[in-house]
Amino acid sequence: MDFSILVTDFWSLTIDGIVVGAIVALVSLGYTLVYGVLRLINFAHSEIFMIGTMTCYLVIQQFGFTGYEEPLPLWKFASLFLLFGLTAAMVSGVAAVILEIVAYRRLRVLGASRLSSLISAIGASFFLVEVFQKLSGAKNLDFPRMISKEPIFTFSSAYISADKILVIVGAGIVFYILNRIINHTKLGLGIRAVSQDEKTSILMGVNVNRIISYTFLLGGALAGVGSAFYMVFYETTKANVGFLIGISAFTAAVLGGIGNVRGALVGSFALGLFQQYTSAVLGYNWKDVVTFVILVFVLLVKPTGLFGESLQKARV
Amino acid sequence: MTKKLLEIQNLVVKFGGVTALNEVNLHVNEGEIAALIGPNGAGKTTVFNIVTGYYKPVSGDVLVDGNSVLGLRPYLIARMGLGRTFQNIRLFGDMTALENVATAADALNKSGLLSALFGLGRSRRDEKRSMETAQSLLEFIGLDHRAHQMAKNLPYGDQRRLEIARALALNPKVLLLDEPAAGFNPQEKVELGDLILKIRDKGYAVLLIEHDMSLVMKISDRISVLDFGQKIAEGTPSEIQKNQRVIDAYLGVAEDAS
Amino acid sequence: MKAKAFNLRDIFGDWWESATPIQRGITRTVVIATFYALPFLNNPVIDTPETSFKSVLFYPLVLFALMAVGLNVVVGKSGILDLGYVAFFAIGAYTHAVMSARTSLNFWEILPFAMGFAMLAGLILGLPALRLRGDYLAIITLGFGEIIRIIAINTEAIGGAAGITDIPGPTPIFGFEFSVMDPRPYYWLTLTLLILVIWGVLRLSHRKPGRAWEAIREDEDVAEFMGVATLKYKLWAFIIGGAVGGLAGAIYASKIRSIQPELFTLNLSIMILACVVFGGMGNIWGVILGAVLLGYIPEKLRFLSDYRIIFFGLLMVVMMNIRPNGLMPRKKREKFQEKIS
Ligand SMILES: Nc1ncnc2c1ncn2[C@@H]1O[C@H](COP(=O)(O)OP(=O)(O)OP(=O)(O)O)[C@@H](O)[C@H]1O
Ligand SMILES: [Mg+2]
Repeated sequence: MDFSILVTDFWSLTIDGIVVGAIVALVSLGYTLVYGVLRLINFAHSEIFMIGTMTCYLVIQQFGFTGYEEPLPLWKFASLFLLFGLTAAMVSGVAAVILEIVAYRRLRVLGASRLSSLISAIGASFFLVEVFQKLSGAKNLDFPRMISKEPIFTFSSAYISADKILVIVGAGIVFYILNRIINHTKLGLGIRAVSQDEKTSILMGVNVNRIISYTFLLGGALAGVGSAFYMVFYETTKANVGFLIGISAFTAAVLGGIGNVRGALVGSFALGLFQQYTSAVLGYNWKDVVTFVILVFVLLVKPTGLFGESLQKARV
Repeated sequence: MTKKLLEIQNLVVKFGGVTALNEVNLHVNEGEIAALIGPNGAGKTTVFNIVTGYYKPVSGDVLVDGNSVLGLRPYLIARMGLGRTFQNIRLFGDMTALENVATAADALNKSGLLSALFGLGRSRRDEKRSMETAQSLLEFIGLDHRAHQMAKNLPYGDQRRLEIARALALNPKVLLLDEPAAGFNPQEKVELGDLILKIRDKGYAVLLIEHDMSLVMKISDRISVLDFGQKIAEGTPSEIQKNQRVIDAYLGVAEDAS
Repeated sequence: MKAKAFNLRDIFGDWWESATPIQRGITRTVVIATFYALPFLNNPVIDTPETSFKSVLFYPLVLFALMAVGLNVVVGKSGILDLGYVAFFAIGAYTHAVMSARTSLNFWEILPFAMGFAMLAGLILGLPALRLRGDYLAIITLGFGEIIRIIAINTEAIGGAAGITDIPGPTPIFGFEFSVMDPRPYYWLTLTLLILVIWGVLRLSHRKPGRAWEAIREDEDVAEFMGVATLKYKLWAFIIGGAVGGLAGAIYASKIRSIQPELFTLNLSIMILACVVFGGMGNIWGVILGAVLLGYIPEKLRFLSDYRIIFFGLLMVVMMNIRPNGLMPRKKREKFQEKIS
């Protein structure tokens, strides 16, 4: 174990941690929003993210890139990015809505046990992964390099390249928009009302089913945007890409206090940084073990996370 | 001097910013039916949840037969002698009536999993004891003919009484009843009153939460009144009926509701 | 009186209840003997096209059934959603592989260790994790299954990603040789252990532990209020499930003779869970039926095999939506008595 790397590469690790954290945050928000309204972990959310990455890949394929071209000029890249980013957001959002209707709605109406919903979600998740496994021939699908990864400027040990700036700035804009939606629109009000108290919301005339659909749409769209950043940054995807990022995002949501939007953001960045620092020291192989250990630790020591209220106990 | 089987001292309970109970003192004497009444949201159920160990109070103490039970896990408190029912019926729906009661009776048996697996004599004796206890309790509440039906398929009134039998299987020092007459018609309420008196006569002390005043006034030996987390009165039924603060508290609620 | 619905389960149940001990004994013997005789069956209707039926009987059928019965104690009986059951299976397999290479113990002497280490893992994971509920627990166990695999990949001392080869089979016992070529002794061995496990689980189910588990599944808070030591019984469920998983893993390793971490993926956990859910959570016979069907169908219909996870995924969603309780759900046989007043 070599701790000196933490000092020499501090800024490089930190910048990467923020980039990873931003991507994780976009996925993590989906878990938290859905948990807020349904008190249910959307197990198949990681597959919604996967569908986003696949969408990006498919859109870009239409343009016939082989991956060996020169990086694109900025305006061309920007318009392409908007195109596949928005398409991914749309597709993921719609997929999430369909998922809710197929896998959860009937069980919710029946008042079936949470175990049933969870198993149904796991089934949906397996189905999606396997379908894309078959469609992709179980191969890694590589994304062409569209934006230069050469550093634009260096900062101490950190090379700041255009894709990292894109992720950080882009995610910042998305978070701002999300904040506006949640705090300043009727939809946001509805989501907050249902999260607070479903029964009362119904009495107040909130259409709960609609709010739930919109919440899935919103969470799915955020994951879709995250998948576009992911593709630009990592440049590859595969059918089970969602699994590990899903675990990270879920851990981040728990770390921040599941059900709490601000918590998901803080948790994601904290986790992203921590993952970078620890895997620099322990080796990249252990990154996922570290994530899991954090998850267990948080759940055991402070299951409510940093900002969460206690959701462990039901009222008797 | 009569023995206090359950005693609550200076209990303060908060949920987030809301104070659900504020410096509440209560007790249940040996052999009596004590009642706890108050408007909706006064904190009655919260008292049960605290004494049975589900929530932790901010301050104050809970004594069962003179011993503090604060910080003990609920199952240990149950074994020490508190059996409870629930405002919204919570039976083990997919188990039979007999099994529901036997599950609670099991708690008083010492033999564990290994002795059950290897069929040791102790486990066989315990099994017999649980079954006999359960059977006789079902007879006591008049449900023996439904012993082998699933709890979720029982009629509403039987479910309420089954909850009482299950709590009694713990052989509790104090039986805690949370609105046992809810949803009952007048005839059933009378029968329930008789059942509670019969339970008292068997030697169990009872702490009863109930909204039905005629039932409470008829069977209780002593009544405590909660309002907004404060104890506002305590006394015999006739004292409580005349108490101006109690009348105000209930009238206040009536006005709010209309 | 309620009219009796006509269904096989009730008819058999009624008959069983009124049967004399001798009749029951004969029935049991015949059923068990039939199962032991299955490898001699030579019937084109039952035969599987690609793998010989004899080896399908061992894997997946009886091994799935064994694991499903173990997992059922956890998921079906106690309502603890364990998504990392494969970890126990892996621990059992690795225990046999490593100990047979490093010590002079034979398979039979290693078996208790395989179960013991799996139980220990269950205890170590369960003690902290079982304080949590439902979904959280599911994620933790899922993580645990994956972590065990990642650790195996990254630990050179147990073969790393390449795994362990040349694992010895069981030494002969009661005149049975365990060769690579003949799957039958493995089938008989596993079947025997399965019967023992069923016997133990049924025994527990009808007594205090069974009631405690069911109460926890029905309503954990209330179980605790009724004096059930919930944490202790959840731990027991976990440990027993783990022991059975470890047992299955050791047998598996002794048959296939070489193991790699990639054998122990989440898919296997989900597969076994699907057996439990599909058959009927909490009903041991339903669960075995589930294991047999889900093991057999893909072997029989080979074309499905490539798509079987897709198929299972779909099946889980559809099944949950149509029959949230599975094919043969647990059901208490209710008895109605007239009130004599
Ligand atoms: N788990 C909890 N979290 C937050 N607030 C709670 C919780 N449990 C109870 N409360 C609050 O504490 C107060 C007292 O509730 P409690 O259930 O004890 O009332 P009650 O007297 O039993 O009323 P009712 O007659 O309606 O049953 C209420 O304001 C309730 O909303
Ligand atoms: Mg109440």
